[in-house]
Amino acid sequence: MVTSTSGVGRLFPALSSQLRPQPATELREYGGPGLVRRKRVIDVGCGDGRMALGCAPYASEVVGVDPDPDAIRSARARARELGAANVKFRVGVAQHLPFADEHFDIVLLSWTL
Amino acid sequence: MVDALKEAHRILRPRGILVDARPESRVLAYAERQAPTGSYRRAGAIATARVELANDRTSDRALATAVRSGWFRSLRAGRFWHRVLFEDRSGMQDYLDDHPRFVHRVKWIVEPATRRKWERDPWAIRRAVRFELLERV
Repeated sequence: MVTSTSGVGRLFPALSSQLRPQPATELREYGGPGLVRRKRVIDVGCGDGRMALGCAPYASEVVGVDPDPDAIRSARARARELGAANVKFRVGVAQHLPFADEHFDIVLLSWTL
Repeated sequence: MVDALKEAHRILRPRGILVDARPESRVLAYAERQAPTGSYRRAGAIATARVELANDRTSDRALATAVRSGWFRSLRAGRFWHRVLFEDRSGMQDYLDDHPRFVHRVKWIVEPATRRKWERDPWAIRRAVRFELLERV
């Protein structure tokens, strides 16, 4: 179904990922699910969790971080809907990530820099 | 941006992978009309707004700094395309009017009469995404 997306990013920033590629498409371009399989992944600037949730079926642990509390609320709701138990979302900024040194295998900066 | 890359370096294990993906502003995006058969036909070109070009260059410089500083080394880079879909041409134009990334005017390659005929058909903006995989040193 074709859905008009005009105004989505403006009116509902947390939903702006509707304007982005499907996570499976992006992941395929980066090398496929093997890139994140059984890995610890962090999605910095995760928005509503598009890529983080796309990685969740393959990764051992996924963390999504975004400065927008509304986006994080939306991401958590989507994770609950999907039953993605290995994903956590938290409000934060890319310059100060509250994680130990060398904790992650993969850092995603998808539409973030 | 460099601070964010330094932080990414800190939390990544050695030989971990950083994926940077962003809209590709070095190529034009395209306005496309979807035919009843489902195929798309290019109808115009859409340039990136000047301020976004400057932002993208700043991101490029930050990444170059991270590589030059010895935090990361490039493994692979590429580009792919995706479509943002709209119910009709006015929906696409509303999006362009509001969206800061693109200039608001499409540079049309089809005649006004053709555009009017296609007004209520589905449209899409086909845009490029660039990406790079970098290994944490």
